Amino acid sequence: MSTVDAPPAGASTGTGRVTGGWWFRPVPLARIAVFRVIAYLFIPVDVFLTTAWVRAHADVPPEWYQPLLVGRLLHLPTPTHTVVTVVQWMLVLAALAAATGRAPRLLGTAVFLLYGEWMVIAMSYGKVDHDRIAFLVALAVLPTIGRARFRDRRSSEAAGWAMAAVLVTVMLTYFLAAWAKVRFGGWDWPTGSTLTRAVLRRGTGLSEWTLELPWLLTAAQWAMLVLEFLAPLMLLVRSDRARIGLVLFLLGFHVMVFAGVTIIFLPHCVAILSILPWERLTAGRRPEDAALGGSMSSGPGPARG
Amino acid sequence: MPIPTAQDPLTASPPLRLTPAGRLRRLAAAAVVLALLLAGTLWGDDDEFPFGPFRMYSTRADPNAAVVSTRTVGLTATGEEIRLSGGEVGLRRAEFEGQLPRVSDDPGLLGLLADAYADAHPGAPELVAVQVVQRRFELVDGRQTGAFVDRVLVEYVLTEEGA
Repeated sequence: MSTVDAPPAGASTGTGRVTGGWWFRPVPLARIAVFRVIAYLFIPVDVFLTTAWVRAHADVPPEWYQPLLVGRLLHLPTPTHTVVTVVQWMLVLAALAAATGRAPRLLGTAVFLLYGEWMVIAMSYGKVDHDRIAFLVALAVLPTIGRARFRDRRSSEAAGWAMAAVLVTVMLTYFLAAWAKVRFGGWDWPTGSTLTRAVLRRGTGLSEWTLELPWLLTAAQWAMLVLEFLAPLMLLVRSDRARIGLVLFLLGFHVMVFAGVTIIFLPHCVAILSILPWERLTAGRRPEDAALGGSMSSGPGPARG
Repeated sequence: MPIPTAQDPLTASPPLRLTPAGRLRRLAAAAVVLALLLAGTLWGDDDEFPFGPFRMYSTRADPNAAVVSTRTVGLTATGEEIRLSGGEVGLRRAEFEGQLPRVSDDPGLLGLLADAYADAHPGAPELVAVQVVQRRFELVDGRQTGAFVDRVLVEYVLTEEGA
């Protein structure tokens, strides 16, 4: 579509970076090929296993449906048993087909639209979850890349933009969460007992001991707020080593939260996986790569000036 | 026909470039989504999903106020409590809490749940009432005292047929 094989005039090494160059740093297509499989195969897991409560809305009396703004604007149908079942199977089948990599634009767009409707069914019953936006953005941008094969050694600016969009959304999920804490909780949010409340309501054997140490939960609240405000720093990751480190840190945080209060931002964690240099698994290492070691820039494009 | 650039030493082939129009479209799309997310965080609420604020655990809990946990239960003729807010009728606890004001205005919604429960669990004992019960855990200086109080917020008595 808009991807061309030869660079347009002036878009090569130097001057092409003038307009939003950060957004278009080329990313290997092999990385896209792997991440796409992970993202699309996660959908059946999500539907049948990890958020099976969405399917359960099929049996809820329709009077309990409280459509979100988007549902009202688009006049989406009330999720009756039939609607939920049809959307569920269309979504799962489209996702499985998209995971093969065939017709990436058509099938990818279908998956994005169906998953969007699935989210309306999920969030229209009195509770909105906040773990989906980065995954939704990933589903929205994947179809814009087009064809990507596991052993494709080329990198592409279209892939670069897509991965940048997911990374920015992952970052914003933390940064805007800090902002929301200040907006709704006030600047003294960290001195409150929000975590105590969370552990009381949904604590586990791994977290209930913290109730005896309120200062520890307060310290954790301070750490969370400060780290969330520092999230924009993650946009600086460039080397493969930094990418892997960042992903381990973020996933570590989410696993810890899961151990403590059994809440995990699973779709968000899948979006986090897009940060990893997956092309290392598939593209095969060339002699130059081996000599340059793990700290080299992952984008084979020109190094940043 | 543009002239191809010299091969980058690190790659087999040069990166696939975008046309200026392709870049512009993508930057515009990113700008729109960023603006919506920012506006949602500043002024929006959950209703604007997916652009609402990321308000998970964003409200400040007072260390000396009680922690509240709500459950919705069905009562059998023998007074036994059957939990309905753990997914038994397809709704989660947080969803009950989110619709609490609506349920207070229209307790009949609870009656619909009793029907849904009976449909899903044909062998289960018949329910005579559905209650929303709030449990308050006392908290002093962020520490739980071990005391709690239960209070019925909304009750819907099912019309007894032949009971």
